[in-house]
Formats: sequence, C-alpha cells, structure tokens
Amino acid sequence: MSLAVGSGRGTGGRVVEVVTIYVVCGMAALVFSGLIVEAVGSDWTDVGKALLNGSVLKPGRWGGTIGVTIPLAMVAIGTIISTKANLVNIGQEGQLLVGAATATYVGSRISAPGPIVVVLILLAGVLGGALWSGIAGGLRYWRKVPEVLTTLLLVAVASNLVGYGLKNPWLLLDPEAKLGNRNMVSRQLPLDTRMPRITLWGNEISISAFLAVALILLVGWMLSRTIWGFRLTVVGQNRRVATRFGISESAHGMIAMFASGGFAGLAGAFMLTGGDFANYRLVPGFSVNIGWVGLLVALVANNRAMAVIPMAFVFASLRTGSGFLASTGIERRVTDVVQGLIVLALLLPPAIMFIRERRRALASARSRV
Amino acid sequence: MGDLFSAVLDVGTTESAYTAAARFAVVLAFAAVGEWVAERAGTLNISVEAMILAGAFGAALGYHATGSVVLGLVGGMLAGGAVASVQAQMSHRLTADQFVVGLTLNILVLGIVGFLDSEWKLSTRTASIVEVPFLVDIPLVGPALFGQPWPFYLIYLITPLFAWLVLRTRWGLEVRSVGENPQAADVSGIDVNRRRRQSIYLGGLSAGLGGGYLLLGQVGRFDPGIVAGRGFIALVAVIFGGWTLRGAIFGCLLFGSVLSFRLTLPGLGYDLNNEMLSSLPSLVTIAAMALFAHAVRQPEALARPFIRGLK
Amino acid sequence: MGPPAAICARLLSKSYGAVAACDAVDIELHSGEIHGILGENGAGKSTLMKMLIGLVVPDSGTILVDGSPVQISDPVVAASLGIGMVHQHFSLVEALSVWENVALGDSGRLDRTAVRGAVGEMGERYGLHVDPDARVADLPVGLRQRVEILKCLRREPAILIFDEPTSVLTPEESDELFGSLRNVVEQEGRSVALVSHKLTEMLGVTDRVTIMRNGRVVERCLTAETDAGALARAMVGRDVRLRSGSRPSARASAEESPSTDTRPAPVLEFRGVTVAESRGFVELEDLSLVLRAGEILGVAGVEGNGQRVIADLLSGLRSQTSGDVLVSGEVIDVGRLGATIRAGVAVIPEDRHDSGIVLGMTVAENLMLADPAAIADRGVIDRAAMGEMARGLIERFAIMCTGPNAPMWTLSGGNQQRVVLAREITASPKVLVAAQPTRGLDVGAIEYMTDQLRQVASTGVGILLISSELDEILELADRIVVLYRGEMTGEMSRSEATREKIGRLMGGDLT
Repeated sequence: MSLAVGSGRGTGGRVVEVVTIYVVCGMAALVFSGLIVEAVGSDWTDVGKALLNGSVLKPGRWGGTIGVTIPLAMVAIGTIISTKANLVNIGQEGQLLVGAATATYVGSRISAPGPIVVVLILLAGVLGGALWSGIAGGLRYWRKVPEVLTTLLLVAVASNLVGYGLKNPWLLLDPEAKLGNRNMVSRQLPLDTRMPRITLWGNEISISAFLAVALILLVGWMLSRTIWGFRLTVVGQNRRVATRFGISESAHGMIAMFASGGFAGLAGAFMLTGGDFANYRLVPGFSVNIGWVGLLVALVANNRAMAVIPMAFVFASLRTGSGFLASTGIERRVTDVVQGLIVLALLLPPAIMFIRERRRALASARSRV
Repeated sequence: MGDLFSAVLDVGTTESAYTAAARFAVVLAFAAVGEWVAERAGTLNISVEAMILAGAFGAALGYHATGSVVLGLVGGMLAGGAVASVQAQMSHRLTADQFVVGLTLNILVLGIVGFLDSEWKLSTRTASIVEVPFLVDIPLVGPALFGQPWPFYLIYLITPLFAWLVLRTRWGLEVRSVGENPQAADVSGIDVNRRRRQSIYLGGLSAGLGGGYLLLGQVGRFDPGIVAGRGFIALVAVIFGGWTLRGAIFGCLLFGSVLSFRLTLPGLGYDLNNEMLSSLPSLVTIAAMALFAHAVRQPEALARPFIRGLK
Repeated sequence: MGPPAAICARLLSKSYGAVAACDAVDIELHSGEIHGILGENGAGKSTLMKMLIGLVVPDSGTILVDGSPVQISDPVVAASLGIGMVHQHFSLVEALSVWENVALGDSGRLDRTAVRGAVGEMGERYGLHVDPDARVADLPVGLRQRVEILKCLRREPAILIFDEPTSVLTPEESDELFGSLRNVVEQEGRSVALVSHKLTEMLGVTDRVTIMRNGRVVERCLTAETDAGALARAMVGRDVRLRSGSRPSARASAEESPSTDTRPAPVLEFRGVTVAESRGFVELEDLSLVLRAGEILGVAGVEGNGQRVIADLLSGLRSQTSGDVLVSGEVIDVGRLGATIRAGVAVIPEDRHDSGIVLGMTVAENLMLADPAAIADRGVIDRAAMGEMARGLIERFAIMCTGPNAPMWTLSGGNQQRVVLAREITASPKVLVAAQPTRGLDVGAIEYMTDQLRQVASTGVGILLISSELDEILELADRIVVLYRGEMTGEMSRSEATREKIGRLMGGDLT
C-alpha cells in the first residue's frame, strides 16, 4: 500500500526498466507460441490474425471480449483483497460456481418485478461465493487449517455440488428439460431478469460492465484511502503489530475472505445474467476456468487494482480470439498454450523486479548503519 | 444409509472391486510418493496433475515411436521430469509464485497435449499382466496387488527407494532441513533451492511414471482427459497423510477405493450419489485437517519460497 | 615473528553502494591465541567475519591461510580451509535431533552411530554435554548454543570464529564457555576469534584485541597492556562517559524517602502473574512488582528468563495463566484485543521488526498505527493531516529519512527505533515498556535513547526498562528487579545495587 505521492526516486528510469522487462518477456512468449504452431505445420501469422480478429478487430467482437473481461476482473479484484490480507485464496473457480448456482436458484424462482430480481440475483451470487470462501476462512481462523489447501479442495466439492444440483429439478434443473445427459441445464432466466444490454459503436455490451468498473474503482479507493484498508494492510503485513494495536486479525481476515469469495460469486452472477456465456442458463462446466484465469489476472497484475482491467482484457481477448481459430484449421487448444506461455512469461517481470528492489534495499540499508 | 452399508459390504467381498481400487490407487501413489518428497523439501506443487498428464502423453509417444513398453515408460518419466523442471526452475530459481506456475502448467500442458494429440494420432496398447505366483492366490487382495500388468509393480520399488532416500541418506537429511528451516540449512552450507529443485524433479519423474502406467498399464489409449483430477487427489493424499509416507500411501488407498466405488457400484446394482463420492476425498481431507490440524506437523517452511537475505 | 598466521587478511574491502562496510582491513589471527575483535554495531566486524566464512565475497584484498592466498567463495570452501563460525543467530533446524543437526553440513555417507559417538566424545572433551538424540526444539537456549559449538568443532577447524556468543548466557555460563575456549586454544593449538562489543569480555578472555570503527581497523593491542577506558576511546573515537550511573538528584531523594504514602501512585502492577505454556513449561512464575509514576524500574536478567513474556503480555500479544495486571489501579484483561493500548501502555519492543513496525509501510503510516482515527474523517484518511503529523514528529525526534512517505525499510536501525519511540511517547501513555531499547544501536543513538527515556520519566510516565545490559540498568533505573527462570530472584533500589550482586541474582544464586 502506498500513500506516497511522487516518491521522486528517478521514476522515469524505473518505468523504462519495467516496460522493457515486460516487453522482452511477452515477446519471448509469443515467439515460443509461434514455434509450437509452426511445428505442427500451421502458419503463425494466420493464428495471430485470427486471434486479433476474433477478439477486437472484427465488428462486434470487442463487445464479446468485454463480456469475458467483466467476470475475470471481478475475480481478480476480489483476489487482490484477500492477498492484501496475506491470505492465499486459490478457490475462486469453486466460489464462482457456487455464486452462479445460488444466483440461478434465486433467478428461476422469485417472481417480482424484473429489476428487483436482477438485484437479488447479483446479491445471491455474492452471498453464495462469500459463503464458500467463508468456509475456508472459518477453518483457517478457528482450526488453523491453511486456506490455500481448503480453498483448493473446495473447488472439487463445489463442482460436484453444482453437478448434483443440475440433476434435480427441485434444485437447479429445468423441470422442462428433456431427459438424458445432454440436457442437464437450468431454467433460462426470464427476459426481464437479464442484465440490460446497450449497443456502443456496433458492439453489444451488458451494463454490468459499468457496474464492474465502478466496483473496481471503489475497491481500489477503499484499500488505499480508508482506515479499513489501512488496517487490512497492517494485518497482511505484520500480524503481531496488528494484534498489538488492537486490530483484529481474524475479523479483518474473515472479511477479506468473504469479499474475495463474494466477488468471485458476483462474477458468476454476472456471467449468468450478462448473456455472454451460456445464454442465461446454468450448465455443466459453467465456470469455464474463469475462476482460475481470474486468479492469474490478479497475480499478473501484481495485485494492483488499476492494472486489473487491462490485464483482464488481455486474457479475455485470448479467449474470444480463439473462437476464430477454427476457420484457420488449427485446434482451439493452441490458445491454451499461448495463454499459458504468456502467463509464464508475465510471471517473470514482477519476480525480477522484486528481487532487484530487495537487493537495492538491502544495499542501502546496510550503507546506513 | 442402509443402502450404503450393504453397498460397502458387497464391495468389500468382491474381488474385482479390490482390483479396481488398487489400479486407481497406484496411479495416485506414484504421484503422491514423489510429491511427498517435494513437500518435505518445503515446496507445494499444484502442477502434479500436469506431470501425470505429460507422463501419459510421453509414454504414448515413446511407445508409438519404439513399440516398447519399457521405453514408453521412460518417455513418460522424461515428460514428467520436463514439466517438473519448468516448475522447479521458475519457482525456485526465478522466484515466480509456485501456485501460479503450478496452475499455469496445468492449463498449459493440457493445451499442448490436447493440441498435439489432435494433430498426431498415436497408437498404443496396454502392457501384459504378470502374475506373482503364490501371492496372487491370496483371497480378495491377491489379484489386486500381485496380478496386475507389470508396470504396476514398480510402485513396490519406488516407495521404499524414496523412503530410504529421504529418511536415511545425507541428501534426504538436507532435503528435510530445507523444508523445516531453510535459513539454517543455508548457513550450514546447503544450497536450499537446489535441493528443492531436485526434490521436484524426483516428483516429476515419479508422477510421469505414474502417467505412463496409467496409459500403458491401464487405459491403453491416450485422451487429454485421461488424468481427470488424479494429480489433485494425490496432493490431497499427501496432506491427508500428515506429510508421512505411510500416511500418503494410506490416503492413496483410501481415496483410490472410494473413487473406484463409482465404477464398481453400478455393476453391483447400486446407484449411489456420484457427486458425493467424487467429493469424498476432498471432504474427508478437509474434515481431517479441521479435526487434527493441531496434531499434524507440516514442514515448517512449506510453500514459503527461499531467497537468501530475506526472512 | 614466528610461524605464519593461521589466517591473515590484507586490505580486505567490501562496499554496499556508496558505503564501505570494510575498508582496507588488515588482520592476523595466530594459533594458540584468542583474538578479540571489538567494535560497535556497524563497525564492520560482522562483515569482516562473513568474508572469512564465505557468506560475503570481498570487493578487493586478499586472504591468506597458513601463508597461501585463498578465495573463500562460500561456507563450504571456508570449511575445507579449516575456518568455522559459531553463529549469533543459531543455524539449527528445530525439527531435527541434535545428531542430525551436527551432521548437517558434513559431506559423505550419513553414519548415525559415528555422529552420535562424536557428539558424546566431544562433549566429554570440551565439557559441552548434550544428548545426541534430543530434538533441538525441546532444548533450552544454553544447550542449543552447545550444539552450535559442537557442530563447529566437529569439523576440526583450525580457526574458530565466535560471533557475540554471550548474549544468551548467564555470567556463569559465559565463564564456562570461555574456559572451554581456553582449552581449545591452549591444548589443541587452534586460533579463536571472538567478535563482541563488550569491553569486559575483551579484557577478561582475550590475548589480543583489534578495534574497528566505521569499517577500518583503528587500533591493535595486547590485552594485557590495555584497559577499559583505552578500549572505549578507540572504539568510539572520543572520550566516552563510561556508564558511571550518575543519578539526577531529584529522583535520588525521592527513592530514599521512607516507604510511605508520599510516593507517587503505582501506574503498573503485577500481582502473582504466572504464564505457563501449553506444554507445562512455566515462563513466568508468580511475578509481583509495582511501578510508580515517574519511576524507572529496571528488569535485569539474562535473555530468555521471562523478559520477553513480560513485554508480550504488556503488548497484548499474550495473556497470563493466572494473576492480575493493573494499570493505574485498574485490572486490565491483557488478552482482550487492544486492551493494553487503551489502558495507556506503550511498548518499545525488543524486536521492532517482529511487533514494532511494519517494514513495508511508510514512516507516516507507521507513526499513525497507534491512533489512525486521529487523522481520519469518518473512516477516510486525511492525507494532509497525516503528512503534517508525520513531518512534525520527524522533526521533533530528528528521524533521518527522505520524508513521511519514505518506506520504513530504507531507514537505519537507529532511526527505525526513533519512529517507534516517537509513536509510543506521543500517545501520552501511563506506562512505557522499553525492552532492550538500545540493542544494536551505535553510541550516539544510545545516548539519545537514554536521554529520551529519562525525559519521559520526568513527565510522570512509569518506565519498565527490560534489559540484559547491566550497564544500561545501572545507568537508568531507580529500582531494580532481577529475573531468573521466570521468577524474581531479587529486588533492590539503585543505591543498594552492585554489579556483583545483580550478576549473582541473574544466575540464580540467591545467597
């Protein structure tokens, strides 16, 4: 956390250094991906063009990309909150699913004016996700079980739970679904309970986008400008200092876990009501790795709230861009490869900078004996 | 509930159930034994899933190229080792976050393997069954433990080997010290990150071998979904076992049995809740941790990266 | 001249950035000698030793072992050259047993019987007995140090380096240690380097002393030909008012008045406080003490005898098993979150990194830890107010930093301590707990801290001074209690206190 304004430490040179490292690593990832593509006999320029076209260039595409950016950004901003408290939450995929499930349950059962149901759906998503991460939080603070393990384990449980729900009409299954495995889906959300969509420059986007941006700004502000954010940071950086000054580690930690899961659940709700995913239905495999990738977005954005939106957009582009790959005759999975390589490449700059920063620090500290 | 009880009874007396359980458990065991070593060194490798998958694919490649099961298994080990080396180098030399690297590797390897599988059509088969005389005739468990395709028996070699390595050799002493107090180990002249990387390589070789067994000893045909979460379950088994080798093996047996239930039960005429069974390993482990967390000692430095000069 | 020195460093230099930690240092260690290396913290002695042991690589200069130049690139090389170090902060793995720890760092096959046997044999030889199969986690500090020494001796080093070894020992244990060192040196012809900042140790046990200041060697002498004053002068570069324990007259007269109600009210009381760990290990046993307003009560004792527990209790980091803690006559529940702070107890902890400051935050943020609401408006931080508060404190306490936004980790130890002091004092406390307040500080910072503590006491704050530095206690305290193994072994006023008396009580000798 930094309340510093203009620390004046030769920031210009540092910016160049940072950008260079990122560019070099990014290029390396792209080169590797290109090599893999060539190795299988395809043309990397085709792949590149298809990705770009599919994500932003062709008309109407970037709207879809924004649709994917929204849940990724929500998962990421929630992860940043838990990271601030020095908690390791790697269960967003599960929290997202539970949030989507509770949102579906509420959305398909409540009869009330449309806008009210929309709000309830979103709230249900938040509550579902928060409950799921809350379990891990509770186990950590009351039974000392590391949350990195419980959040991970709960992902599988969530997936099975939702799968079970989709088999039973009294839970999530659409009562009118035809029999057989292929139709284990939920009821589709009625028209008036869906997020309104607007058209901007030929692209359709759900208004959740604006809500998402507002939330990100809010969280960023709260973390850096409020006493609550200050206390959360103290808890995350030094538990004993927090205790000494009467800041409750467990209270702040639980809130951070709830918030983290809540945002993942909200992402699920956005995916449901936004329309860019399974057409307003909960289906098996609904989460499509958004939880995992959202976690990656947070880490690659170096846990900075402001970097979340551009990073989420990059990852979203990869996903929507891959939709165009079929026409090039290349297996869709290559985007997983590209994505993986890019993430690995993007992991390096923060790590490199961290090491250099600490080396400088140790040197200057030693020199001031 | 009564249903469950009679189901367990029925399963407990069916030979094929034991065989199925053993086959499931052994893949978990190959991976778990390796990850046990890695976690004793203080690392936590979520990429075990990717290592097994790479192992399966590597074995398919190896067999396809040479027609030999042995070379296929070697290919599997090398592939698992390759994934392990990315995890090891990035997390314990380049200081990248080990969870992110692990997660990314899972996605990346799935992508690569799926991509290559759809481009190259590989043909494989299963290895022949080798029965151990006398022992295979033990009722119920005999065929399960001694009447399997020969790669199965490698687990009987690997487990004591790894136990000896970690608990009785100097290398193992250093690995354990690195997992408990890397600063002290460093001051004693031990290269902390090097030991950690080595333990991860070992894990990768073993998990890769497990993947190779999965392909050549069990399924026979490669498919990107062949691993289906076994890597995560192996991870859970290590934790469930309290970071002891015995515990990890027990966990593999337990989880292997429960998960193979899913397959044997329908054959016996039962229709239990599939999802419940699938979540059982996770739920049981969570419950065990909640109840026994205070009694179990994890390696003190588990999942905490080591950089000299930083606490 | 005699045979070549066991180890010899010529023009050894090491810089970190613009500052030279070691500047053209020459030093010679001979066999059969205990060579003291004296200097304040930051004088360069640690860096010098780290270069000899391979943890740091010199920028320039040469090291000669038995007359031949060598490159010591890591601890393994140093070990092969016969150089061993007993570290200040131990290098033991708690989860492992004694023999496993001793074996760590060896090479070759792991032979359990051989190592266990060696532990027993060396224990006999040097009088350092330890059970080879015990788990280090179960051993008390004194025994752990023995394991450290055995680890070092096992490799039969020709040169042994001891880095501040007595900070965790009682005076008796220190004497035992030095006796063993004498053995090692005389009977086996080894060379021992004793790094320390304590004058009395230098005079008591060494044959020669090399004094370092600001990275340079400023003097070399034979111990027999020097005295405390000369050493101190060389160490600091000016005449130092050796802690003479001069007392301001006002307080002296107050303490000499008969015990009646004219004494100031107690601000802190411990009544039968016992702190027992879950395993049954008792850390504080039935402790009772009274601290009055404006008084400095010194808690003397060797580290590890319960001092940490007292500080943790008063920081709200632990709670007692039985007994009461009272502040200004009211019982407070130290275990309740924030109770101690609300009661007006300020603490300068012995390890500021552990519970005093947040390294990753700025100076201003650290200053506002005690009462963030003071610079906030309905939960939102008022950055202007924060900056103003911080600048004011920076000036008042002369904190050297680039400004309120300077990250805490860029400050030196002394300045970090000033931040802690500033924050704690301005919270208008009733009680100030100062735990090892001048540890790791250079002489200037020590003088500053000492003055500040006196000033604070004069405003009516009761100060609980917890220190293992006897000189500090004798300098500042009005009354003194002594802790040994969690129990109070003695209580006296400053006028009744002598170094010998306290020393004995510190070692548990109640005669």
